[in-house]
Amino acid sequence: MNLPNYFLADLPPEAVLSPAMIAEACQALKRNREQYLASRSTESLVKTLSRVADEWLLEENPFRQMALRLGPEQTGFSRETLARGLDQFFGQLTRDHFHALLVQELGDVKRLDALCSTPEEQRHRRGSIANAPEFQVHIAAGTLPNPVWTSMVFGLLTRSAQFVKCASGASLLPRLFAHSLYEADPKLGACLEVAEWRGGAAALESALFAEADCVTATGSDETLAAVRALLPVRTRFLGYGHRVSFGFIAGEDLYGASAKKIIARAADDVVAWNQLGCLSPHVLYVQQGGAVSPEQFAAQLAEELERREQSEPRGPLPAETAAAIALRRGIYEVRAAHSPETTQHWCSPGSTAWTVVYEMDTRFQMSCLNRFIYVKAVADLTAALQGADPIRGKVSTVGIAVPEDRAAEIATQLARWGATRICPLGQMQRPPLTWRHDGRPALGDLVTWTDWEQL
Amino acid sequence: MRAGCRGKPALKKHRMNHPLSSFAARLRAEIARPPAAPGLPPFPELALELFALQFQHNAAYRRICEARGVTPSGVLHWTQIPAVPAAAFKELELTSLAPEERTAVFHSSGTTGQTPGRHFHGPESLALYEASLWSGFESNVTGHSGAGSAASRLLILTPPPAQVPHSSLVHMFETVRRKRGGASLPARPPEYFGNTTAAGVWTMDFEAIVEALSEKADGASSPPQLLLGTAFSFVHLVDYLAEKNRQFVLPPGSRVMETGGYKNRSRTMPKSQLHALLTDRLGIPPENILCEYGMSELSSQAYDTPGAHSERLFHFPPWARVQILSPETGREVGVGETGLVRVFDLANVFSVAAVQTEDLALRHPDGFSLMGRAPLAEPRGCSLLTI
Repeated sequence: MNLPNYFLADLPPEAVLSPAMIAEACQALKRNREQYLASRSTESLVKTLSRVADEWLLEENPFRQMALRLGPEQTGFSRETLARGLDQFFGQLTRDHFHALLVQELGDVKRLDALCSTPEEQRHRRGSIANAPEFQVHIAAGTLPNPVWTSMVFGLLTRSAQFVKCASGASLLPRLFAHSLYEADPKLGACLEVAEWRGGAAALESALFAEADCVTATGSDETLAAVRALLPVRTRFLGYGHRVSFGFIAGEDLYGASAKKIIARAADDVVAWNQLGCLSPHVLYVQQGGAVSPEQFAAQLAEELERREQSEPRGPLPAETAAAIALRRGIYEVRAAHSPETTQHWCSPGSTAWTVVYEMDTRFQMSCLNRFIYVKAVADLTAALQGADPIRGKVSTVGIAVPEDRAAEIATQLARWGATRICPLGQMQRPPLTWRHDGRPALGDLVTWTDWEQL
Repeated sequence: MRAGCRGKPALKKHRMNHPLSSFAARLRAEIARPPAAPGLPPFPELALELFALQFQHNAAYRRICEARGVTPSGVLHWTQIPAVPAAAFKELELTSLAPEERTAVFHSSGTTGQTPGRHFHGPESLALYEASLWSGFESNVTGHSGAGSAASRLLILTPPPAQVPHSSLVHMFETVRRKRGGASLPARPPEYFGNTTAAGVWTMDFEAIVEALSEKADGASSPPQLLLGTAFSFVHLVDYLAEKNRQFVLPPGSRVMETGGYKNRSRTMPKSQLHALLTDRLGIPPENILCEYGMSELSSQAYDTPGAHSERLFHFPPWARVQILSPETGREVGVGETGLVRVFDLANVFSVAAVQTEDLALRHPDGFSLMGRAPLAEPRGCSLLTI
C-alpha cells in the first residue's frame, strides 16, 4: 500500500517547504474547517474517531500493518512493542471513554454543541457552551506517538483545524493516523495537516505560528521556551515539559504468586515503549520486609525482562545510546564488585537489551532508559519520597502496587507530595483518555466558554 | 579526561626490586631505545605479564577482575584482560602505590561538583609518563629531526603547573617545556599564557598572546612558533583574533597542538572549522595543526597523523593499543563501524593498563577517528539532576 499525497509529510524527502506553502496550508485548513468541521456534532465526531480506532485494532487494518512494517526501521521500536502500544492507545478511544472525558472536562457530553446546563447550573439558572480554537498547531516531540495522537484526537473532538509539526524523521505514526482519518472521512482529513522539519526553522515556524490560535508542544524546557518565544501574545500555549516517573511497591504483597504478578506488571512498565515516555519508570522503590526482598525482586525482574526480550524484543539502538548503557553498566559492575551488599546488577547477555540495577542508596536516579531500570530498597513510602525529593514537582506518574486497604492513604500521601497521576503498577504507560496531562485539564485548557446567565 | 600534579616532596624510597618497578624500568628503556637496538618482547606478551602483576598488586583492580571471574591464568590474549571504566577512577583508588608512595595525582576534568577521577603517581610512574609523552610529542609534533624545535618559541595556552598541579595535560606541557631546555633558560620570555580564576576557571591573557605572536611574526629569520593548548582555548583565541581583526602569518615550521573536547567551556565548533580558522588567523597550514587524544587516566597519548589514505587518524605509540568495541555486544567492531574506545596502555604500570573510555570512535583499517563522547554516561549526583 502506498500512501496518497494528502499531507506535506507525504512529499518526497527532497521537497523543500517554504513559508508560503505553510501559510497556504493554514488558510486551506481554516476554510475546510469552516466548511466541514465547524458544525459537526460531537456525537458524529466521537463515532468517527471510535470507528477509526476500532479499525486500528484489527490485524488486517492497512494503516496498522504499515505502522508495524515501517515502524521498526523508522521509530526504533520493535514490531511487538509497536503492536502493544497501538493496542493500548486505540483501545482507549471508545464512545464510552469519550463520553466520560466530555463529562469530566465540560460537565456535559453536549457542551461543545449547544448551550446546556448541569442540574447544579440549572438551579442557578445558568447555561454555557464551550468553544474550541479555530486552529490548533501541535509541535510533536520525536519519541512516542501517544502525546501527538492524543492532541490530534482532542483537536478533532473540539472541531479545530490542526497542523501537526513533527520532528524530522518522526512523522510516520502521526501521518498514518492522519491518513486513517482521511480515509474514514475525507472531510475531516481535509482539516488536518501533517508536516515534518527539523525544529528551529524560524521562517516556517513563524508562518505557522502567525496563524495559530492555540499551540501545544511537548519536549525539553528549552524546546518549549523556544516555541513560546515565537508565539504572538494572544496565542494560547500549552507546553508539556519533560517529566519523570517511578514506582512504589509495598512489602505486604511481595510473596509467592502475588510477587510474581507484581514483577510481571513492573516488567510491563519497563518494556512499554521501551521506557521512553515521561510516564515510564526510572526507578522502582521496593519496600523491605516482604517475603521477597528488594534484591530478590530485582533478580526476578531481570529474569522477567529476559523473557520479555524473547517475546517483545527491545530492538536495535544507535551506537551512542547503546554506549550510554554499556558505560553505565560498567560503573555498576565496579560498584557491585566492591560493595555487593549495597549494589547488584543484572544485564542481558551479549546485548544492552535490558539492565536491572539494585541499590540500597535511595536517591532517585535518572535511568538511561531503553529498559534500564533501578530497583531501590526503602523502609517505606516516606523513605522513597525522601529519595525522590530532587525530582519533586517534576513527577508525572507514580505506579503503585500496595494492599487495597492502604491504597487511599498512600495515594493521598503521593498527591500531597506532588505526583499528578497515581496508577496501578503495570499501567504507567497506559493512561486513560481522561488523563489530565501533567495535572492540567485534558480538554479544559483548549476551550473558551460562553456563559449564559438567565433571568 | 584530564584536569590538573601535585608536588609532595618526592620520596626516596627504592622500589626497584619490586616487579612493577622493574617492568616500568624496562618499558622506559624500550621507549628510549634506538630503533635498531634489541627490544622487549612483543606487546601481547608484555600485556599479559603486566596484567598478572597488576592483578597481584592492585587490590581494587583485582576485585573487579575476580567479580568477573577473570584471573591471569585464564587469560590467553591481551584482548581478554578486563578493562576498568574511566569513571571508576572517581570511585576507587585504582593504584598499586601505597599512600606514602604517591607523590602526585592527576584529576580528570569532570563536571563541577563531582568527585574527579584520580590517577596517582609516584616518581617511577611519573618518569614513565614523561618518557612516554615526550616520545609521542617528538615523533608527532616536533618531528624526530628536532630541526628548529629547540629554537622555536613555545606558547602554552594553559595556566602554569603551579596553578593547576592536578592537570596531567599541563604536566605534559611542562615536561615538553623542560625537555626542550625551557628550565635551563630562565631569560626566556613567558611561555604560559593561561591563568586560573578564583573559581578555578581557565582563562588566557589574549593581549600577551597577540604580543608574542606579533614579535615573532616579522621576517623570515624568526624562529617558528609552537602553540600548545586545549581545543577550547584555541576556539577562544580565534574568536579573540576575529574580534580584534588580527591575522598572522607565523614563520614556516610553526605548529599548533590541540587536545581534548570542548567540555562546554566555549561554543562548540567542528574540528575542521577550528582548524580552518587557525590556518586563517595564524597562517599555519593544516598539516602543521596536530590533534592529541589523551586523558588523565592514561600515560600515553594518541596523535592524529596521516593514515594510508591520507586522512588523519589517531594512533597510539607501540606500547599502547586501542580497540573499538561495540557498545551493544562488547566485541570489537568491524572497520567502518562506530564503537567505544578501549585503550591498553603499558605505560600505566602502577594503575591499570586496560581503560575503557567514554569516547566513541570510528574504526579504520589503520587507526581511529573520534566521534565524540557518549551522552549521559554517568549516573548523576542528585544535586546535578536535570530533567
